Amino acid sequence: MRTRGGILVANIIAGLALGYTVGNIGFGDFAELNRMFTFQDLRMFLAFAGAVAIIVVVFAVLRVRRTPGRIHAGVIPGAVLFGTGWAISGGCPAIPIVQVASGYLPAFVTIAGIAVGTWLCRWANTRYFRFDTGSCGQ
Amino acid sequence: MNEYWPWWAGAIGLALVTINYTVTTDRFIGVSGAWDRVLHWRKERRVERLNDRVTDDRVLVEALAAATAEQFGGRPAVPTAAFPPYGGAPVQPPVPEQQVRRTAATRGRVASLLPAPLASQAALLLSIFIGGLIAAVTSGRFHLRLDMGDGFRHLVTGNPTHMVGVLFIGGVLVGFGTRLAGGCSSGHGLSGCGRLRPVSIVATAVFFGAAVLVSFVLWKVI
Repeated sequence: MRTRGGILVANIIAGLALGYTVGNIGFGDFAELNRMFTFQDLRMFLAFAGAVAIIVVVFAVLRVRRTPGRIHAGVIPGAVLFGTGWAISGGCPAIPIVQVASGYLPAFVTIAGIAVGTWLCRWANTRYFRFDTGSCGQ
Repeated sequence: MNEYWPWWAGAIGLALVTINYTVTTDRFIGVSGAWDRVLHWRKERRVERLNDRVTDDRVLVEALAAATAEQFGGRPAVPTAAFPPYGGAPVQPPVPEQQVRRTAATRGRVASLLPAPLASQAALLLSIFIGGLIAAVTSGRFHLRLDMGDGFRHLVTGNPTHMVGVLFIGGVLVGFGTRLAGGCSSGHGLSGCGRLRPVSIVATAVFFGAAVLVSFVLWKVI
């Protein structure tokens, strides 16, 4: 499954399952999201934390290869910006897609914002920061 | 309010997605990385073509070396190793099949260091949409609307113009922040924390902490 076609199929399966799961957990619902981040309702928090716990155990059993990741100067400021953006717009990069798919048309604006932010970051990084940020999506 | 899945179903769902993807492809699943590459598709496609040529060249060089070795009974690059001085027994020339297998392995190794093909990452984003659509329609939650729901109206703003502004600024922060931090809730949060990578644990703690802080401000102050 490491050929080009294999990766394509794996991505389609992962995307369908991720969209379906994220939608049914309720991450696309701004009220639920705010209740998670303010600890009024631990359901979605436990879904996320539970998933991480299961993954840690399974990866340890399967001895999944550990890729090194350096904590460069962009990690903490980037994470602060991302957390702030997530809390006010309700969108981590997958969620606005699910929101649009649930009928929330204004989420297209969030997607446009993500596109602009992504472009800006690559432009600013090649020009000014020069961090080695390539750690995700590979 | 709770037509959503219970927490354990969500946990199993998210874990299955991540584990299945990692086991089948030996890669991180990352949505922000997919956005980044798809949005820079022109440049990424150029890089991809270049990489294809390099791996092809490397494979070609190895195949040529193997063919030469087969013909002349030794690897041309290391003749002294094939025929040691002082009358030592000549080393057996490498078996061509072994060479071929090694070439295929090299190609696989080189390819797995490269990012996932661009088309497959575009397919990931599109599939998330279809998966979300199936979830919304089958659960009866699908409802075309021009607002972001009651929660957003109460907690952030009810004014449509302000809403567009907040969503856009929030989106820019998400796009910029995830790429600066090198990952989002799927790349750092699920794949990275699952592998106990320090950078991912730090990033996840910080973005979650920031989101908690801002959400409390929205809930209590605004």
